Amino acid sequence: MNKVLKVCLCFFLIFLALIIFVPLIWTLSTSFKTPEEITSLPITFLPKNIFNLDNYIHIFAYSAFGRYLLNSFIVSGITVVVSLIVASLAGFGFAKYNFPGKDIVFFAILAILMVPFQAITVPLYLWSIRFRLIDTYQGLAMPGLVSAFGIFLMRGAIESIPNDYLDAARIDGASELRIYWRIILPSVKGSLAALAIIKFLWTWTSFFWPLIITSTDKVKVVTLGLADYTNMYFVEYNFAMAASIISIIPLMVIFIFFQKWVVKAMILSGMKG
Amino acid sequence: MKIIDFIRGRTFYERKERSGIFFVSIAFIYFVTIYYYPLIQSFLFSFFTGPSSQNRKYVGLATYKKVLSDPLFLLSVKNTFYFVILAVPTTIVLALIIATFLNYVLNKKLRDILSFMFFSPLMISFVAAALIWEWIYHPIYGLLNNLFLFIGLPSQGWLFNASQAMPSIAIMQIWLRLGFDIMIFLSALQAIPGEYYEAASIDGASGFSCFKHITLPLLNPQIVFVSIIELIFGFQVFDLVYTATHGGPTNVTRVIILHLYETAFKWYRFGEASVVAVFFFLFLLSISILQWKFRRTTTY
Repeated sequence: MNKVLKVCLCFFLIFLALIIFVPLIWTLSTSFKTPEEITSLPITFLPKNIFNLDNYIHIFAYSAFGRYLLNSFIVSGITVVVSLIVASLAGFGFAKYNFPGKDIVFFAILAILMVPFQAITVPLYLWSIRFRLIDTYQGLAMPGLVSAFGIFLMRGAIESIPNDYLDAARIDGASELRIYWRIILPSVKGSLAALAIIKFLWTWTSFFWPLIITSTDKVKVVTLGLADYTNMYFVEYNFAMAASIISIIPLMVIFIFFQKWVVKAMILSGMKG
Repeated sequence: MKIIDFIRGRTFYERKERSGIFFVSIAFIYFVTIYYYPLIQSFLFSFFTGPSSQNRKYVGLATYKKVLSDPLFLLSVKNTFYFVILAVPTTIVLALIIATFLNYVLNKKLRDILSFMFFSPLMISFVAAALIWEWIYHPIYGLLNNLFLFIGLPSQGWLFNASQAMPSIAIMQIWLRLGFDIMIFLSALQAIPGEYYEAASIDGASGFSCFKHITLPLLNPQIVFVSIIELIFGFQVFDLVYTATHGGPTNVTRVIILHLYETAFKWYRFGEASVVAVFFFLFLLSISILQWKFRRTTTY
């Protein structure tokens, strides 16, 4: 390919990338603006005072957004920890043991990937009422505690560990749980990290189930807090954008520091659906 | 003691087998109770009136008939298909083009920055994206209408205009999903050996015919895969619509899941909601089965 074409191509790509990126810059810029600034014409791209944190202070001082943030962290934390443990255990079971019906059970778990979550919400909701899970962290975390995708991922990772390692440990008298803890888990750190990232991302951004199962500020999560900003007569976009930025920060931090893992996790996560 | 011995297994091999069963059983029991049982219940509810056990009555296919003749349900199906047609092909084609071009950028630093910009919307929830775009679409103070004004175009109604609302939502979806598709395509493109292109260019192939005869056939599995994923995401659209338009104006953005949500949790008509859920499940199941079929023929 000739040089001129290549330069043109680069500029075209930069142009497209800017189109994709501008909404984020615009969000950031709006989050620093005063209510007067966002309702004055002609609009300005940059805020007058770049370090005007009033909107952020307002969000934490006058709304329960801080609480929502905490709730999101709690629910995501529970989900990540439980799903890592259960998925790695099950993956270990499927990869390294033989028992009758193993293939059928594995297929039954894999088939879960084809069940859209929305199709089971009515019965789950009725259950939640009966077992008093409405407005609780347990109720919020319930449908995401174990992921079929995670089990699939873990089985693949654990299968590549040589059986000799496990047998050597058994001869030395290690119990199966000890083998899991001392040999299996350390060998699949990479896949565990990928699963942790993807589970955190899914839980943090989930909306449908929290919308159904929660109604009080005490357990509401960030996505619900964000959606509340549209319920007002005139949307206060300076606050809404500040809240959006806050909700994005944890994921962006993960993305910037663990980009390699995120890309790996993302590509793997395509399995879900 | 005998029972404990029996559960643990008597011989070494039995014990090993038992621990395998134990490791798997936690996940299996979870999925049976939290996914399979409710799924069966969804089917059952669709044949009965009312989910509470006191006044449950078998009504056969009556609820199915009711839902299928409900204009609101049919409208939501139509709207969802319209949304998918708008969003999914555009996302895939755009991603394919961008990924191919990105693969040509040899300067690593520039490529990393560009990929970061393209991937960044992936880290945003649908709800936040809806809020962000709502503000961009704002009729008076929004970025888009002011840009239009600047270059001399008339301002648009966007989310408030009945014919523009769905395309506007589709743009949000494209913006958010583009990064994932680019990621998949780019990682596949980087695995294609450069020799293929060298050989083709020695034979005098142009850039476009290289793309058509080398890139596209080799990317076929990824294209099928991404299409299925985007279809599934597309048909499940809810968060964007709920946050940005709530189905309005005049129900033009009312989608299937929004209809399901309102039927169940706003009007508390669980029987009808279960019918919608069953339809939705069977429909997405058929897409997934299609995927397995395609996979077998496209990966070799």
